[in-house]
Amino acid sequence: MSRTYAEPVDVGVQDGRPTRFVWRGRLYTVLGVLDHWVISREWWKQQNPDLDTPAEREFWRIEASPGRSAGAVRGPSAEVSPGRRARAGTYELRHDLATGQWILARVWDLTG
Amino acid sequence: MGFNGVSWAADFVHLHVASAYSLRYGVASPAALVARAAQHGMRALALTDRDGLYGAVKHAVACAEAGISTILGADLALVGPAGDPAGRVLNSAAPARLRSEDAARVTLLASGRRGWASLCRLVSAAHQAGPRGAPVITPGLVAEYAEGLIILLGPGSDVGRAIAARRPDHAAAALARWREHGEVVIEITDHRTRGSTHRAARMLRLAREAGVTAVLTNAVRYLDPPDAAVAQVLDAARQLAPLSERHLARRNARAYLASGDDMAAIAARVCGVPEDSTMTQLLHATAVLAERCTLDPQRDLGLGGRFMPETTGGAPLVTLRMRCAEGLRRRYPGGIRARGQRRVRRRAAQRLDHELSIIAKTGLASYFLTVADVASLIRSRGIRCSIRGSGAGCLVNYLIGISNIDPLDYDLIMERFLSESRKGLPDIDLDVESARRIEAYRAIVDAYSDQRVACVSMMETYRARSAIRDVAASLGLPPHEIDAVAKAFPHIRAGRIRNALTELPELRTSGLAMPQLTAVFQLAERLDGLPRHVAMHPCGVVLSDTSLLDRTPVERSFEGLPLSQFDKDDVETAGMIKLDVLGVRMQSAMAYTLTEIDRTRGEQVDIDTVGCADEPTFEMIRSARTLGCFQIESPGQRELVAKLLPRTMGDLIVDISLFRPGPVNSDMVTPYLETRHGRQEPSYPHEDLAATLSETGGVVIFHEQVLRIIHAMTGCGLSEAERIRRMLSDDRSRASAGEWFREAARDRGYNAATVVDVWEVLESFGGFGFCKAHAAAFAVPTYQSAWLKRHYPAAFYAGVLTHDPGMYPKRVIVGDARLAGIPILPVDVNASAGDWCVERVPQLPGEGLRPGLREVKGISEAEVARIVAGQPYTSLRDLWERAAVSRPVAERLVLVGALDSLYDPDEPDAGAGEPDAGAGEPGAGAAEPGVAGESSVARKSDVVNELGVTERSRGAEKPGVAGEFGVAEKPGVAGRPPSRRDLLARVGVLDRRTRPSRPGPGPSSRLFTHSVPANPHKRDTKAHHPREEWEAGAPAAGGPAAGEGRAVAGEPAAGEGDARAGGPAGRGGLVGGMVAGGSQALLDLDADRDGFAELVPAGELRELTPAERVETELEILGIDLSRHVVSFYEDLLAQLGVVRSADLHRCRAGSRILVAGVKIATQTPAIRSGMRIIFATLDDATGPVDLAFFESVQPRCAARVFGSWLLVVRGRVRRTGGSVSVNGEECWDLAALEEIRAASGIGAVRAAMAAGDVPAQGGPAQGGRLSRPVPEAGEKIIYPNGFVLSPYAETGSPGPGLKGPPRKLWHASPGSSGGLDAGIGNSD
Repeated sequence: MSRTYAEPVDVGVQDGRPTRFVWRGRLYTVLGVLDHWVISREWWKQQNPDLDTPAEREFWRIEASPGRSAGAVRGPSAEVSPGRRARAGTYELRHDLATGQWILARVWDLTG
Repeated sequence: MGFNGVSWAADFVHLHVASAYSLRYGVASPAALVARAAQHGMRALALTDRDGLYGAVKHAVACAEAGISTILGADLALVGPAGDPAGRVLNSAAPARLRSEDAARVTLLASGRRGWASLCRLVSAAHQAGPRGAPVITPGLVAEYAEGLIILLGPGSDVGRAIAARRPDHAAAALARWREHGEVVIEITDHRTRGSTHRAARMLRLAREAGVTAVLTNAVRYLDPPDAAVAQVLDAARQLAPLSERHLARRNARAYLASGDDMAAIAARVCGVPEDSTMTQLLHATAVLAERCTLDPQRDLGLGGRFMPETTGGAPLVTLRMRCAEGLRRRYPGGIRARGQRRVRRRAAQRLDHELSIIAKTGLASYFLTVADVASLIRSRGIRCSIRGSGAGCLVNYLIGISNIDPLDYDLIMERFLSESRKGLPDIDLDVESARRIEAYRAIVDAYSDQRVACVSMMETYRARSAIRDVAASLGLPPHEIDAVAKAFPHIRAGRIRNALTELPELRTSGLAMPQLTAVFQLAERLDGLPRHVAMHPCGVVLSDTSLLDRTPVERSFEGLPLSQFDKDDVETAGMIKLDVLGVRMQSAMAYTLTEIDRTRGEQVDIDTVGCADEPTFEMIRSARTLGCFQIESPGQRELVAKLLPRTMGDLIVDISLFRPGPVNSDMVTPYLETRHGRQEPSYPHEDLAATLSETGGVVIFHEQVLRIIHAMTGCGLSEAERIRRMLSDDRSRASAGEWFREAARDRGYNAATVVDVWEVLESFGGFGFCKAHAAAFAVPTYQSAWLKRHYPAAFYAGVLTHDPGMYPKRVIVGDARLAGIPILPVDVNASAGDWCVERVPQLPGEGLRPGLREVKGISEAEVARIVAGQPYTSLRDLWERAAVSRPVAERLVLVGALDSLYDPDEPDAGAGEPDAGAGEPGAGAAEPGVAGESSVARKSDVVNELGVTERSRGAEKPGVAGEFGVAEKPGVAGRPPSRRDLLARVGVLDRRTRPSRPGPGPSSRLFTHSVPANPHKRDTKAHHPREEWEAGAPAAGGPAAGEGRAVAGEPAAGEGDARAGGPAGRGGLVGGMVAGGSQALLDLDADRDGFAELVPAGELRELTPAERVETELEILGIDLSRHVVSFYEDLLAQLGVVRSADLHRCRAGSRILVAGVKIATQTPAIRSGMRIIFATLDDATGPVDLAFFESVQPRCAARVFGSWLLVVRGRVRRTGGSVSVNGEECWDLAALEEIRAASGIGAVRAAMAAGDVPAQGGPAQGGRLSRPVPEAGEKIIYPNGFVLSPYAETGSPGPGLKGPPRKLWHASPGSSGGLDAGIGNSD
């Protein structure tokens, strides 16, 4: 049901949260954050790990739809209007806090 | 005040915080956590360590210092539904702490004094309920101690887990259950792991629906996010698994001590919308709960109080007075005798009044009574018990029987021990026999009950070696590499690892500074000082009233004794009486000596009444023949006694006080010796001080002198003087003490110059002085041990060898005994007991030393007991069957000659009864010892004891091999006794025949393999097959035939593999039948069926050569029993012109010589200049050779000195006083040189030595010459008054420990032992 990608994306951030991102030339608007978590990078697999900064990766599982954002960003428990949800998909973004890089990791394609 | 999140953020208090006292879990010290909380502006901080309250007192103290409030709790594991903590079936062999790894956990917070008492008792009960080291609770157990406790149910609780499993129904039910048991609060935590925010939100909803308060925590484990890596390493170390995503998939770096704002952000996230009322409520409830759980250190925790055991019968002071008066009459029986006697008694009575007045003022009477009671309890069990420390200066202690030292005899004063100026309780320390220390503790617990007594715990912390081990294991390094890397380091702090790599010569050349290890060292340094293991303090016992268990949690020690979770500082802070009851090996050694004297001679010597002025004893001390004696056996002490030439106890007291780093290095020794030997007139800063200083020739040596000087110059009284003396040890307070002193002394009319002079003396020596009372207490066992050595040498050696009290390996003591002319007898299954024994021998001085069976590596207590119980034996077979020793032990007994006496060639019928010898001949089995054999057994054994043994031991001392071949030359096999090799083969036959289906490794003799066990001193105590285990085995399932094939095909034993050799299957029935005597038929039957070399005729295999004998002795006993190891190198030493210890005194100072020998000691003591000097002592069979290696030669010598066991050293002779030592300049491995000589002759040896390219034997060519300049080693530690110390002083040596025997004595093969481990050694 979900597809795994590892493609760099440009992400717009507001108050620490992603609000929109551009993937394969298309702008997606974040409708809501379903989940958000942080995992330590596997520093012990590196030859010379930098142990003084916590090497973390942030994951955002979000609902987003192609097109412009209409409303405010909502928290995980916020409701999304039925109309938008119909066109929305679920996306997982990965943010490497050490490098600042964003990756689109997975996509749950509701139409697929 | 608005009910909004922002203002409550300022009030946030962390309620769930683990410090490093959550073993292998938390990362930060309580003090660091408190400091950070204070920095965040928090008004309180909780400490809720896992499994215990080990850090509670430290936390309370830190909070008080930081001016914030204390909250305490504990995070405890729940028993799973099946009774197992994790609720699942696990291998019962898994460590208990591993089994509880997956258990659900709840946190209990204490509210008020009642809550603290409940918490202490609950933690104690949890430890009682779980296996040792893995405490568990149940809701029912919590209910028993619910008063004042708040149950915090977080994500790790059963409720939280049900929520995570999306079973809100289970969660609600579990929550309802908990509410029946006590006050419950839901703990909301969100570390932002995957799904954690959702789970937290669901927890919050559950709390709201159930009407339960919810609070927010961060389940803190460390201070800052970067510390998470350390936490992860600890997780891996705790779970005994390398780091992997599997273990850490849900971990990140968010369990830090977050600020209030950060916590408000978490609250906002969990509650969904910022500024909403749910969030405000959550933060408000957290602040309210924190307020409720604030504990008052004095009122609630009892810190700073004083809780003495309840005494019976009257006011303590009255009782104490009475007992002192009685003691006065007993200790000073005056009466009609000499007037001097009466004067002494009058002086004692005056002193007593003075002491009692101080005791009355300090309110310590019941303390003295309690200690006196404890001392008499211990002595009443026949355990030797003596006082140590400053308490020996107190007359009351002498009168009520705590001490046996009369303080008036040595002019000791009480104020050093107890003065009005002293805060807290004085320390009375008792020394007891080490072997009976636990027995002494039990006696105290029995008498006072475990409601009032607990032992004191201590935390073993991570140091360099342990930190490297755990980090490297968590990073998945192979075990042998971990071992090699860890052992390369000396015993230093973990924080110095990388410094040591660049600073220590032997590490600089080790090649360890490789990039692959950088992360290991970096992380290991961050483990520095973290607690890793709870242990019983070696001497602390806490005595208190019956409220003890309300004030300290108690767990069980390894020995089953109650163990407080507080350490020695904590128990004092918590107002409990701590008594130091220290196990002293020398006391055990002396007790054993006395029983041996009694056993062999029937003399009951009372060592405590032999006086203290025996001239022969002092003469022995002056000649420095003090190996084995208490306190004066080290190389440095032997040098000092030879210079000081003690004639009285007073001299011994001075000697002991002088032999300390301070005095030695601040040059107090030389001026003292100058005046002592009359080469210089004593000088005193002022004539008023002459009385005080005359006893030490004008040099300040004792604390007591410091007190008297201060008193004499200022008239302040001794109590006040003691207060001033204590100020001398600290820089800041010393300055103010100096001001006070100068003023007070000038007021008394001393002129300015004198005052300055005296203060200078006090300042420079005061901090280094030694408590004379303490030295006097030490001098008693010093004298007693010397007295025993002088008058009962054999018994003394037996005591010392059995209880091993000193610094030297046992082989050195054996060597000393040999030099003293005492015959060293072999281990003998018929003559040896468990311990070393004195045995009559028909030669001078009539007493020999027989090693105990416990010296045999790997022998179990059960085997020792069975062997001793079954003595005498007539044959190997007899021993095998009746003592049922394991195969490796049987083999080791054979190899060290413990069965030689059974087959003595001088005994006509020796060996005839041996069934194996004639196994091939029909009818030989008839000689099998049955009932008829009994009488001949006894007779033979007698002869062996009286004659055979000494005969053989004399033979063994012959260096040649003639004796060995003399036997072999006899024609025919019949009359020839079996060689040890024959017997060894027979052990194999016996094993295959009689203990068949043994699945494990087969032949385990390693005589001629290279996997020599690392350290004979480390007995593989687990390596045995207890009889019980066999008999528990299944009935002979496999049958002999089936088992045989496997045994023969068995792979060669890998190292210590015999420990794991085989399960119990199939041994029982056969052995049982064997013991019943019905096995002969079986054996014969087997022999017929056997198609290959199972018959071992006597004398077929060559006997061990003398060299091989010594090699096996060292391997199995750790002692070169039959001959001195160095004797095998005599030719080489002679050819090289090596100077022997006995001839050393003839060498001119400054001449350059070669010395050689077995390394028996290395030390790196504190040295004034801050240099690290390596002191080493070699034993060359004629005596010790003391060596010093200075920093300039360490780059080319250090690795060799630490790494080799047999050394040749070139150096310059140094003479000081009567003693001679050598300043080493170059050194070589003796065994390696011998190898070169054997291969290419002495010329090649000389060439190799000149070229400096001799590797350590079997090791890589490390060390050698280095031409690059040596940087100064390490940052010096600079003490006040200019005393500079190397940071590596007193850290011991890296590589093999002092007792480390060689890997090989003689060349075996070039070996494959390259790489790191070969040069690094074998012992930890």
